[in-house]
Amino acid sequence: MAKSQTQPLIETKDLVKKFGAFTALNGVSLQVYPGEVHALLGDNGAGKSTLIKLLSGVFTPNSGSIYVEGKQVSFASPRNASDAGIGTVYQDLALNPLASVTRNFFLGREITHFGGPFGLMKMREMHRIAIDEMAKIGINIADPEQSVGTMSGGQRQTLAIARAIYFGAKVLILDEPTSALGQKQQMEVLKTIRRVQKLGDIAIILITHNEIHARLIADRFTFLSLGEVIGSGTSEDLGGDDIKRLMAGGAEIGDLAKELAI
Amino acid sequence: MNASVSQRQESDRHEQKKWLKTLFSRPEIGPVGVMLLLFGMLGYFSIPSGEFSLNPFAGEGFNALGIRNNLRVISQLAIIALGAGLLIVAGEFDLSIGSMIGFAGACMAMVLRWGFSIIIPYISFEGGVHIEFYTLIHIPDVSPLGALLITLCFTLFFGWLQGYIVVKSGLPSFIVTLGGLFFLRGLTEVSLRSFNHRPDQIKGATTVTEIPDIKNIINLPGHGEMERSAAKALPEADLTQLLSTLPADKIASITERLEYTYQRVADAKTELMISRGVKPLERALENAIESGNEFMAKTIQDKIANFKVDPVVPKSVTDVDVARVYIDSISSARPIADFFGGDILQPLFDWLYFPIDWNVNNFGNQFAQGLYSCVMICLIMSLVCYFVLSKTQAGNWIYSTGGNITAAKANGVPTNKVKISLFIFSAFCATIFAACQVFEVNTADAAKGNLKELEAIAAAVIGGIVMTGGFGTVVGIIVGAFIFGIAKEAFFYIPGIDGSFYRVFLGLVIIASALLNENIRKRIMGTI
Repeated sequence: MAKSQTQPLIETKDLVKKFGAFTALNGVSLQVYPGEVHALLGDNGAGKSTLIKLLSGVFTPNSGSIYVEGKQVSFASPRNASDAGIGTVYQDLALNPLASVTRNFFLGREITHFGGPFGLMKMREMHRIAIDEMAKIGINIADPEQSVGTMSGGQRQTLAIARAIYFGAKVLILDEPTSALGQKQQMEVLKTIRRVQKLGDIAIILITHNEIHARLIADRFTFLSLGEVIGSGTSEDLGGDDIKRLMAGGAEIGDLAKELAI
Repeated sequence: MNASVSQRQESDRHEQKKWLKTLFSRPEIGPVGVMLLLFGMLGYFSIPSGEFSLNPFAGEGFNALGIRNNLRVISQLAIIALGAGLLIVAGEFDLSIGSMIGFAGACMAMVLRWGFSIIIPYISFEGGVHIEFYTLIHIPDVSPLGALLITLCFTLFFGWLQGYIVVKSGLPSFIVTLGGLFFLRGLTEVSLRSFNHRPDQIKGATTVTEIPDIKNIINLPGHGEMERSAAKALPEADLTQLLSTLPADKIASITERLEYTYQRVADAKTELMISRGVKPLERALENAIESGNEFMAKTIQDKIANFKVDPVVPKSVTDVDVARVYIDSISSARPIADFFGGDILQPLFDWLYFPIDWNVNNFGNQFAQGLYSCVMICLIMSLVCYFVLSKTQAGNWIYSTGGNITAAKANGVPTNKVKISLFIFSAFCATIFAACQVFEVNTADAAKGNLKELEAIAAAVIGGIVMTGGFGTVVGIIVGAFIFGIAKEAFFYIPGIDGSFYRVFLGLVIIASALLNENIRKRIMGTI
């Protein structure tokens, strides 16, 4: 599955982000390849959130650079990042629970007959696209008029992912997609991620706390601790024990080593 | 794992909708039921006592005049309820609607009465320091359209300002528009008092009167522009002269109409005379039967059977009558004023009188001339709002702004623009309401529109608009306005109860609707 010989879809080099005196990220580099799931792992406060906020244009780095398909980019706003093909699915999913599947799918990017906000929406076409796009990654919606509030957590996650892909995401950042879900729904989400992976041209950055999920689905791992990369590699490079150590003990050992060095 | 279990889809657990179930899960179904109930009440209770009919349309509530008056109340309420309702769907309130109506009406009336000026105050140092006024522009005669546009400049600006303060400060719109409520009402009273210092006005009054009846200004051939009433009061020679300019078929059709009317009036008078003559006899007959005087009873019965009056002879149609009817049929020379304050569907109501013979009052005359034009304005605005809210991108933005503003923002919806636009639209609706009133009655009063903001919000809530935003339809708002408007009439006709019970009823309906709306919202959110 790993295609390390090809060009990375998104690459960061020595990203540094400081909030006043506090260094949240201290020189983080990573490469994410198309058709790969790249798991970003680490304890609370390791810098995962800061990293994805840099990638999705919420923050700008103090130094270091981001490359998309080999070209250096800098994002002034989340809009820039999504225009460059980076789609972020946050934990709250940015859905309106009172509105229908289709209305959520096309929220802010409705297809209309004439330009301008008073253009008539092409509802039938939008229904069809929403159903097709969600079916592509494995969820059949019986009724596109169904309100999102009545959908399961897994279905909502799929809707948010399908929406990001349809609107041109080449890199999909999933922020803890399986947290706050039941067992069966977690499996649904993992299946969805697998189907996106199989599309072959989309790179996925998966932030998770769950080692089992990461080992099931990820092709490449990056472990963060206290704002630095403490280990990385493909699933072949890293044995199950390595992952376990870096996940569970590794972070603490890294911390301890640092503390001892001071 | 069992294969059939793993192949089951999450969506299979979602029941397929049946059309009947779909119909009954519509949020409007409850309000529509209440509306039909009120219609039934209005119909049956307004049937005159002593008469019996299974047809609710036989009642006074549904005669031509009843329909005309009820639809006016409903339409006027619906116009402002649309503004209030759409804003609530986007998650904000406007409490300044009522004051905005008062302000807009006063502004329009003052411009129509005294014209429009831009006056710049400055400090003058000649002959002691004092304030002088420099008149930059003065337009003494402003057309109805001009007055409306000038008023819109002020009201839409206020709407924008309230919206801007709400989105920029993050303050609750409740408090910002509460400020607007007091500010605008006060401003209206202050300006009316200061303008009423003019010698031709009552000092200190907060009304504007003596505005000409603009919608009835007509262009009379050979006489130029004049008010309809003045035209009808012209000397008879002039009216006869006017008639000679008309084509023969026009005169013939008016004459036919008038002959029908006069015949109708004469018949009604004859009937009235008969009933006046017979009624005392009938009463006497009852007394005679009660007292057991059979001879007397028989005599009275004979008298009743032989009671006759000479039928009233219809008036003959004169040239002057024809000319006056012709003057009534001339269309207004001020179409904008007529658009807001005039009548619509006159041909239909004429047809209902002659030849359909329905639109007739007790004296044999035509009952209603037409519907108030605010009905048409309400219809146009409802259609536009329905289209925008349900069918367009802007509608989706309005729903998402009220449903989940962070999601809307994250998806690039300009939520601030959406909110400000709807505050402006709310002010626009209030201005249209004021225009309908001013051009209809030709006066303005600083107290106009009092409590209308609460009525508008109540109508929207009754119509299924969820107070927390994100849910509701234009059809619902209109149904809510129907319920609110018709309740008062329906309760008025119930024999033997206080008319104010309609408020008790509305209070209960509002609470019941709010509970129902909350239940629907939770069902859609999937929390129950």
